[in-house]
Amino acid sequence: MSLLEFDEVDKYFGETHVLKDVDLDVEEGEVCVIIGPSGSGKSTLLRCANRLEEIQDGEIRLEGQSISAEDADINRLRQRIGMVFQSFNLFPHKTARENVTLAPTKVKGLKKGDAERRADELLDRVGLRAQSNSYPNQLSGGQQQRVAIARALAMDPHVMLFDEVTSALDPELVGEVLDVMHDLAEEGMTMLVVTHEMGFAREVGDRIVLMADGKVVEDSPPEVFFENPKTDRGKQFLSKLL
Amino acid sequence: MAESYSEGRTGDGEYQEQFLNDKTLRRLGAAIAGLFTLGVGGFIAAIIFTQVDFELFVEIIHPQFVNAFLRVLAIILVGSLLSVTAGIFVGLGRVSNTGFTNAVATAYVEFFRGTPLLFQLLVIYVGIPAFWPPGQFPISNWQYPTAIIGLTLNHAAYVGEAVRGGIDAVPEGQMEAARSLGMSYVQGMREVVLPQAWRNALAAIGNDQVILVKDTSLLTVIAVPELISAFRNVNSTTFDPWTPIILVAIAYLMITVPLGKIVSYLEARSDWGGDRR
Repeated sequence: MSLLEFDEVDKYFGETHVLKDVDLDVEEGEVCVIIGPSGSGKSTLLRCANRLEEIQDGEIRLEGQSISAEDADINRLRQRIGMVFQSFNLFPHKTARENVTLAPTKVKGLKKGDAERRADELLDRVGLRAQSNSYPNQLSGGQQQRVAIARALAMDPHVMLFDEVTSALDPELVGEVLDVMHDLAEEGMTMLVVTHEMGFAREVGDRIVLMADGKVVEDSPPEVFFENPKTDRGKQFLSKLL
Repeated sequence: MAESYSEGRTGDGEYQEQFLNDKTLRRLGAAIAGLFTLGVGGFIAAIIFTQVDFELFVEIIHPQFVNAFLRVLAIILVGSLLSVTAGIFVGLGRVSNTGFTNAVATAYVEFFRGTPLLFQLLVIYVGIPAFWPPGQFPISNWQYPTAIIGLTLNHAAYVGEAVRGGIDAVPEGQMEAARSLGMSYVQGMREVVLPQAWRNALAAIGNDQVILVKDTSLLTVIAVPELISAFRNVNSTTFDPWTPIILVAIAYLMITVPLGKIVSYLEARSDWGGDRR
């Protein structure tokens, strides 16, 4: 049993068939990087993984439990799935520390003091201990995104979903966020990463999954994918990068 | 080269000398404001020195106007509290994804915004007791419950629309972030969306509450001894219009001006991290 399993997943937006019979298994401790042209369904796939989008056919399972089933206890399952968004989505009315403590206190019932101690540890880990009392609009994009990572980690997730988390950042701020993700991968976190950062994909990824037109078209280790892709679609995608 | 760009600017400074430039506009504005102030100030001064009877003024303040003022203030406090509270639920109904809830909330808003408050007050004041045999209606002084119920139902509709607008203005990603952390819809609304929606809606809610204050003047029709009634009592016995008019104006402004300040304070307080975007 894999940690996160997509089993013949189909997803429609109205008439548009955005995910076509997608099969994908993410193993524990693995960093699975999804790449592909825009509109290929990679973000949608990620959003289905914690049911921010409903699927129309197939099944998605986390540690063997169905996420997509009608009667899934989704609030409980989501605690095991951390998600980081392209647009950060920090809570603007809360400080960095409050952003991190909100869910642990409200959802897990952690005591305020314990949650704050844990939040400070996590903020320290993403290099933002000094900013814990700042509000999001007082932080740079890179800092906001690192707070968002700390916020997701505070729920002790078993898998982390990263949805183009550096796409909204100024180029000089991309590195600090990727560094945090790099550390996280080295600590053994299971990660499903949608990104356009090919350097990161190559260096940190254990697997490269290429999506196109709602389908997984190639699934290879990075050294294979970037040196000698198995599929024509892969070759075509790489040629456009250069 | 593009001649249209240089039109009116050729011949150095010609354009600047046109009559309505920035400087003359500023002066014109100040002049109009000055004239307005002089006119209004003169008019008020004329009223105070030629029309107001100071002895009568002091005589009617207490108990007539003080009682009316306190009565109105009490009605406003209760009406405000209830209408804002109810309005939040109306707003939540308006953004509900459940078709039935949404339709009920929409119909509520359409009805209470679409008919006059005076009509609603009359429906409650004379309509409800009609369900009992004549003289059997158990609630005495029914005008006070009527006032509270009418103001609450009417203004909950307006507050509801303000809250709906406030919720709509919160980016969808906020609820998604809350849900992705395992929070329920209710938790996400309470902890994340509503505090931000509240800030977005504050100005509109404050505006509505100022109107609520002024709407208490309609209560004169259902025999609540409020400020307009106090004016009419004094006026009909003394035939002096201006003395009680001035008192009525002071009484309303004593409520609406501080209310505006409270709203500004609340807005400033929810300017998280300063530098409001």
